[in-house]
Amino acid sequence: MIQILYFDPGLGALILQVLAAAIAGVVLFSKNLMYKIKLFLGMTKNDDDVFDDIDVKDSDIESKSHSDDK
Amino acid sequence: MTTNNRHSSSFRDPSGFIFVDQGLIKRSISPLYFEQYFKLKSSGFFEKLHNAGLLIRHEEISASESEINIQPEHIPFFTYPYEWSFNQYKEAALLTLKIQKFALEHGFSLKDASAFNITFHNGRMVFIDTLSFDFYQENTPWRAYKQFITHFFGPLLLAKYNGAESLKLMNSFIDGIPSKMLSSMLPYKTKLNPFLYTNIHLLAKYEDKHNEDYEGKSKAANLSKKAQLNLIKGLYEFIKKMTLNEASEWGNYYDKTNYEEAAFDQKADIINSWIQQLSAKTVIDIGGNDGTFVRKIHQELDLALVCDIDNNAVDANFEYLKQKKETHMLPFVFDVLNPSANIGFNNKERDSFLKRIKAFAPDVTMALAVIHHMTLSGNIPFEMSAEFFASFSEYLVIEFPKRNDSWVQRLLKTKGEFKDHFDFYTAENFKTSYLRCFDIQEKLNIENSERIMFLLKRKDV
Repeated sequence: MIQILYFDPGLGALILQVLAAAIAGVVLFSKNLMYKIKLFLGMTKNDDDVFDDIDVKDSDIESKSHSDDK
Repeated sequence: MTTNNRHSSSFRDPSGFIFVDQGLIKRSISPLYFEQYFKLKSSGFFEKLHNAGLLIRHEEISASESEINIQPEHIPFFTYPYEWSFNQYKEAALLTLKIQKFALEHGFSLKDASAFNITFHNGRMVFIDTLSFDFYQENTPWRAYKQFITHFFGPLLLAKYNGAESLKLMNSFIDGIPSKMLSSMLPYKTKLNPFLYTNIHLLAKYEDKHNEDYEGKSKAANLSKKAQLNLIKGLYEFIKKMTLNEASEWGNYYDKTNYEEAAFDQKADIINSWIQQLSAKTVIDIGGNDGTFVRKIHQELDLALVCDIDNNAVDANFEYLKQKKETHMLPFVFDVLNPSANIGFNNKERDSFLKRIKAFAPDVTMALAVIHHMTLSGNIPFEMSAEFFASFSEYLVIEFPKRNDSWVQRLLKTKGEFKDHFDFYTAENFKTSYLRCFDIQEKLNIENSERIMFLLKRKDV
């Protein structure tokens, strides 16, 4: 691995991630649950956000040619 | 191949470096990184990120056993994190997380998460450090996690709780805002949120506790890929929902102007006809608010830099261009009284605003309703502002609000007993001073207002 040569990732930060990931897991799980409950009760709003979801869409990856390079 | 033109910002990562060859930016890849590079290329990973517009496109221009050279797509004007508005910063943070998730799913991982790996280009934030990917090792934590917090999450939280000006701290902390400082600057209530407590406050404690482990005795923990994905997704969802506490609805600025709609339209017409007359392709609008006047130009522009000191104005511009999918607009936060300086090692890692704008040399500079602020709030003499404007564009479209203009009167009143020191603020003096650097091409009064529009051409030196 090259990265070892490169910069100090912070040992504390590496250890802490286990905890941070666990908390994030719990938060995501509960938010998901709330979302499903709201969805069931018909309480969800459409968010017309300027920001996309985290997933890269397949349609974005596939079809484009190099023609729009410049 | 050329190796002696190594760019002065390119020394941190041993995988390769950037160099300038006949004015073009190229990237040299060292054999140390060949394995990763070949895999990124052959697996189609680069191609996918290019197609999705997430990573800057590049072409391989030469390959030997000792060096591979690639040439990335040209970026006409770079902006840095300390010049982004809150939502631009947010987009850069989300882009980093999105790429990391995508990388993990394809067996790679971002080895760094510097905010300087990203810039605004073609209407969106784009990742520009092609060599930031390494192989993902099963069950290892994300080495760039701390960097992500100190470069992205932390600054965004500071902006949320302490105002968007906090983002300018990145100018002083080129390698991220120290975690301890982040923790101390955020309000107590952030400790009550388990997500913020772990990612900020506990991180600062852990970093403090382990920073004297010079021998590497403490063993770095294992983290499953699923857990890491949870962390990435958790950060993504949190950041996506972040808003500024101070945020006010933008869009009412032009309701507050002191002139009538007809005058507003006339001003737009004048600008439009001058820009068309000059066949300008590139402009910078200094104090351009949300880009209103640039959008009234009917000439097709290649790139319009629109900068303003007000984060909310830049954000409004950003949101508008996202909705309309404009690619020629480049909004950024800019204080004309204190443009970004050269910073970093040897003062050469990040270029000053002046260096970048001189290299870009926009065809026309627009300075609308800005000279009275520079002169009366900033105390900048006319000669000095003229020299500034003459240093990067051949043409200057400048609006001069006369002494009787209500805004000018308001600014003069704030000067109290020193008001008399600003007696020089007249259209006549303005003209005399600016004629040292420029020739007047055209001059038009905006009807029913106290404002004059000038089209100036820089004198040949």
